[in-house]
Amino acid sequence: MTEYDHVTDDIKAVVEDTELPRRLRRRVYDSIEEREGVTTEQADEIARAAEAEYLDARIEPLEPAGTVSAQSIGEPGTQMTMNTFHYAGVAEIDVTQGLPRLIELVDARKEPDTPMMTVYLEDEYAEDREKAREVVWALEATKILALGDVSTNVADMVVRIDLNEETLLERWPTADAAEPVAAEIAETIEDALGVDTRHQGMAIEFGPSEPSYRELLQLVEELREIVFKGIEEISRVVIRKEELDDGEEFVLYTEGSAFGDVLRIEGVDASRSTCNNIHEIHEELGIEAAREAIINETIDTLREQGLDDVNIRHLMLVADIMTNEGTIESIGRHGISGSKDSVLARAAFEVTVNHLLDAAIHGESDDLNGIIENVIAGKPVSIGTGDVKLRMGSMETSPADD
Amino acid sequence: MVDVSQHELVPEHIPIEGAELDSVLEEYGLDRTDLPEIKANDPALPEEAETGDVIKIVRDSRTADTSISYRLVVE
Repeated sequence: MTEYDHVTDDIKAVVEDTELPRRLRRRVYDSIEEREGVTTEQADEIARAAEAEYLDARIEPLEPAGTVSAQSIGEPGTQMTMNTFHYAGVAEIDVTQGLPRLIELVDARKEPDTPMMTVYLEDEYAEDREKAREVVWALEATKILALGDVSTNVADMVVRIDLNEETLLERWPTADAAEPVAAEIAETIEDALGVDTRHQGMAIEFGPSEPSYRELLQLVEELREIVFKGIEEISRVVIRKEELDDGEEFVLYTEGSAFGDVLRIEGVDASRSTCNNIHEIHEELGIEAAREAIINETIDTLREQGLDDVNIRHLMLVADIMTNEGTIESIGRHGISGSKDSVLARAAFEVTVNHLLDAAIHGESDDLNGIIENVIAGKPVSIGTGDVKLRMGSMETSPADD
Repeated sequence: MVDVSQHELVPEHIPIEGAELDSVLEEYGLDRTDLPEIKANDPALPEEAETGDVIKIVRDSRTADTSISYRLVVE
């Protein structure tokens, strides 16, 4: 081992001889290195002690890991807020926190209550506020009210938009003049509303084909909904300057998410940006990334509530089970619990009568292999010592022994 | 096009076969259909992977340096 000065071959042999996993072996080497050399006997003692602790911490065979995880997440869950909204970490962006968020995650809801993204930027975009702004305008849905004033003239049956030249130039940083941008906007309106527009300078006018007060108001309503620039789902973007080890960078936080679209936008760092919708992550980055995201989101939710002493292994188990089939499955009657083999286990969870009725109709049987079934039947459960089977007198004795 | 494998949430996906696969299945006493699954259209799969292949996944683990896991590619 070249990286350690004080770890001799003898010490190495002693440590490598233990059952310690690699990460812990390295910790042992680090400690020995810190103490600037110990004798081989001392190293042996250290390694044995560490190994004993490690073996002690390992779960026993037949330990009900799932049940322990359920308890270990469930109990802290009782201490979480029922409060839905909270300004978490990031200023000005509402995100669902606490118990509602945890439930949303394990239920694998298609859309989180408050979708959001954390968008990291590449090189020069992350350093220069102007460049970061460019990405903001590419993300944030720009509607007409942000670009100018809309007025309706009932007498002439026209809607008039007075665009703000400065705003146009700011939001279309690549354009040299506001005029072509205004033309582009007029075109977008024509396509979206199916009307003819007249535009001159910064003013755009259009109206219904037949004079109709109702239709005029209808057009204004529709006009407000048109997205001229940016991504429709993203309603707001906040820029924040964050400290790094080696300087600062701008990071964007968005209200609303469209993960796939955002990853393809120029200037966005597609290797770090994330969103809080596990389904979007699954779709764009695959099942393994979704597993990571579930772990991150659940532990963050717990940490936010000061429940950071929940062991990460419990959450890893949850994520493993949710992603086991290659797609995200919810925990609960529509997902994992509902797909159990045992009728009694399913019936014990939710909608008891439906499960029993269906089982009766289809003539299902229950082998009583699981835990819940055996609790119901009053038999020893097949965990821990309950699963150890001793058979006596089953060894064949040879005649010579008699 | 976005290179999915570069994202920090995506661990390394390596198809394995032959002797390596056999030794893995033997070590855990498993049939390949007992493994966790990954869909054939998963964006993180290497291009050459096909249905029925076994993928070795090398994760940065939170509890160990790296942890190795396997998934069977399914339809």
